[in-house]
Parts: sequence; C-alpha cells; structure tokens
Amino acid sequence: MAEARKRPLTAADKLTFLITLVPYLIEQVRVSVDEAAAHFDTTPDAIRRAVTLIATSGVPDEQGAVLPGAGMFDIDWDDFEDNDRIKFRQAPLQDQPRLSGREAAALLAGLQTIASLPDFGGRSDIAALMEKLTRGSVVAPAAVAVAATEADETLLTVRHAQAQRQRLRLEYTTTRGVTEEREVDPIRLDTVDGVAYLRAWCLTRDAERTFRLDRMRSVVAVGPADDHADSSSDPAQLIDDLAGQLWVTVRLPKDAVPLIADYLSPTAEFTEKDGTVDVPIALAHEGMIGRLAARMAGVGAIIEPASAVAATTEWARAAIAAQSGD
Amino acid sequence: MSAEPASRTVPVDERQFSLILALIATDVGLTKAQILSTVTGYAGRYSVGGDNTALERQFERDKDDLRELGVPLETIDTAGAEGDTKLQRYRVSQADYPLPDDIVFSAEEHALLSLAAQVWREGSLSDDSRRALVKLRSLGGVAGDAVIGYAPTVRTRDAAHEPLTNAISRGRQVEFAYLKPGDAAPLTRRVSPLALVQHEGRWHLHAHDEDRDAPRTFLLQRMLGRVRLLDTPARAPRPDEAEHVMAELRELWQRSTALVRARPGSEAEVMLRNRRGSESEGDALRVRSTDLDVLADELAAFGADVRILEPADLVSAVVARWSAVEAAHG
Repeated sequence: MAEARKRPLTAADKLTFLITLVPYLIEQVRVSVDEAAAHFDTTPDAIRRAVTLIATSGVPDEQGAVLPGAGMFDIDWDDFEDNDRIKFRQAPLQDQPRLSGREAAALLAGLQTIASLPDFGGRSDIAALMEKLTRGSVVAPAAVAVAATEADETLLTVRHAQAQRQRLRLEYTTTRGVTEEREVDPIRLDTVDGVAYLRAWCLTRDAERTFRLDRMRSVVAVGPADDHADSSSDPAQLIDDLAGQLWVTVRLPKDAVPLIADYLSPTAEFTEKDGTVDVPIALAHEGMIGRLAARMAGVGAIIEPASAVAATTEWARAAIAAQSGD
Repeated sequence: MSAEPASRTVPVDERQFSLILALIATDVGLTKAQILSTVTGYAGRYSVGGDNTALERQFERDKDDLRELGVPLETIDTAGAEGDTKLQRYRVSQADYPLPDDIVFSAEEHALLSLAAQVWREGSLSDDSRRALVKLRSLGGVAGDAVIGYAPTVRTRDAAHEPLTNAISRGRQVEFAYLKPGDAAPLTRRVSPLALVQHEGRWHLHAHDEDRDAPRTFLLQRMLGRVRLLDTPARAPRPDEAEHVMAELRELWQRSTALVRARPGSEAEVMLRNRRGSESEGDALRVRSTDLDVLADELAAFGADVRILEPADLVSAVVARWSAVEAAHG
C-alpha cells in the first residue's frame, strides 16, 4: 500500500474518507486524534481538518432552510480543542457505507487472483469472504474477473524453495536461445498477468537477476541458500529482458501504438506526422528484431537502421522457408 | 438565507459530503431547486429566479460521482408529473445506504483484502480497491500489509480498460475502433459492454454487438484509439456474466489446439513446452489458445524456430504475418 499512499488524493478519495470517518468516530465514542490518524493511516492534521469540516456541516430542514451553524453534528468542542479528543454527541450518517459495484468488483477479482496461488490452494474462507463482499455492494458488482491458472510443477518447486530458503539449480534458456546452467538463491517471486518471474541472487553471475519461469528447462533444489537482502526492484520493472542497447526506429499508425506497448520505454519520444508516429525502441539484441516486426505485422515496420531493416527481411524469409520445409 | 458567504470556494469533496448529508436526512426528498439553493457548495452561487445552468450541470456530475462511490441515490417522481425534472425529488435511500450489520471481517480477512487490493498496480481498479479498503476500515479491525513473499500482479495497461469499467458500471453503450487481425483497417464497433475478463494474461471484453445484434468477445489490446462512452443505455449483463464468459473461454481453450514443432534447444521449444496446457505428441507439441489469431501472433514471433503442422488456418495466419513483415521491409 506504500505505493498507493504516494499518490495525491482525489476528491473521491477524500469524500470516501469523510463518510467512513463518521461511523468510525461514533463507534469509538471518544477517541484521540492520534489514534484515529493511526487507524486511517493518515496524519493527525488530516483528521483535525476532516473533523472540523464534519462538525460544521449543515443539513437543510424539510423546507430547505439551513441556519448557519445549526448542523446536525454535535461535537464536544472543548474536548476536541483542549484535549485533542473527538467525541460526537450526535451525528447523521452513522452507518458504514456499502461498497460501490466497482469497488466490490476490484476486490473480488483481486481475491480470485490470490485464490489461484499455491499458498492459498484449498482455502475455503476466500469463498466466504467473496460472498460477504458481494452482499456488501450497493449494486451487483461490476463484471470484472481474472481467470484462475493452476500452478505448474516449476512454480511449485520454485515457491517451495523460496519459502524453505533453498538454493535452486536451473537450466535456463535466454532470449538468445542459449541454455545455461545457473545456481540461484530465490529472493522474490512475482506473477505479472499470469507470467511468473523469479528475482534471485545468481551465484553464476554473482549478481541479482530476474528469471522467467517459463524459460526454465529444469529446476531442482540443491541445499540451503545464503541470506540476501530483499530486492528493491519493482515487479513492474521485472520484465527487463526486452530493454537493451540496440536502437531501432519503428513507424506505425498512432492508434496502433498499443500493439507494441511492452517494448516502449516510459520516456520514449514520439515523432508524429499525419497520424503516423516514429518511435525509437531499445532491443536487447539482434535476435529480438524479427519478434518486434512480427508484432506490427501488417500495420507498421522498422525503418531504421538499414541493417535492422535488412535483418528483418532475412528473418521473415527464413521463417517462411522453414515452414515450407525448404 | 444562504448557508455560506458567496466568496468562499467550496472544495468538491465538501460540497458532495453536504449533498449526501442533505439527501440522507430527508424522507420525502428534495427538489433540485431546494438542493441548489440550500446545500453548501451550491447555495453560495445560486441565483434566485436567475440562470443556474452551470450549477445544474454540476449537480448532474455530482449525482454521477456519488453513484460511482456506491451512494444509493433515488429519484422520486411527483404523482401526476412523472418525468418532470423540476418536480422530481432526490434522496439517498436510508435502507440501501448502510452496510448490512452482519458483514464483519476478521483480522485475517482484512489481510486477504489488503493482498487482493495489491493485485492492481494502476488504473481505476487500483483506485477502486483503495477506496474499498478505506470504507472497510471503519469496521475497526485493521491488519498490517500482508507479506507472503509472493505477489501476483494484474496489469490494466490497456487504455481501454478504464472507460470500459466505467461504461459497465454506468450501464452505457460504448464505441471503439477495433482492428481484427487480417483486416487492413480498424472497424468501428458499437456495443453494450457486459464483462471484462482476463484470461491467459489478456483482457477480453465480452459485449453485445449492437450493429450485428449478437454477442462478441473483443481483445482490449486490439482496440485502437479512444473508447467513447455513448449516452445510449446498455443492455444489462446477466448476473453471472463474468463466470459465463470465463467458462466459454475455458471451453474454447480446451477445444482450440494446434500442433507445432519447435527447433530443439531453442527458446521457442522451452516456452511452448512450458506453456499452460501443452502436451507432447511425438517430436511435436500440442498447444492451446482461446484464439487462433492470438496464437498466430505468438508463434509468428518465434520465426524460423517454429514450424506449424496444423490446423491449416493457423499455418496460413502465421505465414501471412511473416509475408506482411517481409513486404513491409523488402
């Protein structure tokens, strides 16, 4: 959640906080500003501002008239100002709000994803939790779902070794098509859109490396691992095997850029002309050129450097030749 | 008399909070004029007998925002004047607003929910789950961030994801440009969005295609340009829409197979062998996919390291991709 906290709060976030804070304060009866701040993982100042806002909010009566200061909230101002304690004697909106259809859907689909992890296999409490979320939603949760994938042998072996602090010996095939034997100490395991990545200390390279589980030809545990510091790398940056030093420029319609989204660096500069863009892309090695071109088949092309263009033609011809059995 | 000095600019969250308070305190409901002339955030700018068009538009947006946040807003027609927006009254349903009393979460359940929220890294689902966690926090029990050393992440990078989630939750039709593989140019599709499903790492939209009057499933990756929300209401999804689509995709995945041979020792060989559902057949591999075009994309990427044996459709789809690459670089 540290990730989420850095982002500035939207109006929707602030409103959610306000309508959630009231039932909490009522339930606590009397609570210190610090304690409330700790509970909501926010600052004491944010709590003070919110409480002041709530306490001075007014409600129009049935005729629509509002008298200034005659709100329905009744707070013990002395206790608040002198002791930094919050105590509402009276408040509307005492009820805990329901989840919106989208909020429930986001948590439900997240739970579906969690439930398919080997760690959570066979846990019945997740289903009960999902049922509660569905009932706690004000409308039927929006239909958003993530298909469960069963853990395969490789994932189970790697996960077990990670949990037991075991060293692993891998036969690993790189994007260059070279298979190497590596000994690694697992640090962290991530799956991104169903693809599993192991962040590990590679004893063969004496450095931290990322390994895609589907490039492992074999994996066995070979005794205890050494201790290593937690990896600071972000899971989103795990997919680093596409990035590299070989620069090519591709040209494609602007609308088609999503097709090559995972090749783009976040700082990529586009040159746009008549709905077409030229985008520089860094590839790991020459073997990736054909792969990139295939992604844009029928839509775009690599236009620079000339050597990359020639390599692409070569690559496509070789593929067609291999297919026709020549 | 006005509830506020006209000079003060009231922040959005404060105005919307006052609106909720006003609408939940009333049993009979408030008319738009009553709301605009009395509720903090509108009242200071309300002109009696004058033009309040801008305020009215703001009220409409606020209503949408509150519904998005799960506040059950009701519109009550005056008997004999159905549909007359001047006489319509608004209120927040006191029956539907509160979370049912028996919904409580254990510390362990809070930890699971926190893990579930962490699945989303970005976009609207991440915002939605963050707000959901805040709401559930009022229930007391708070678990620290659960750490299991193993984090699944689902990305929602497709630009289409957010507008489609919005359209589904608001029940509105959408329009987008869709590039079907093999077509030279994208076609505009107008659909009722029904469910968003991630299967085999790809986001799919299941929808009712309004022009073709038939159900269709689209890959978000192939939606080009912007997804536009239309004012036209969408047809309602069935209650089990997502499970239904998922079962369909699973069934399709079981049934749609291809036979390929990969160069021994190549990256293609290890990745295709490790692919979910792959089975050896002699020196070839039987691989599965929900969509021949998606599979053709994946196989084409391996170039001369793969040879497709069957089906014939897939052979021509992959060769067409290679030929297109050759033509574009020749």
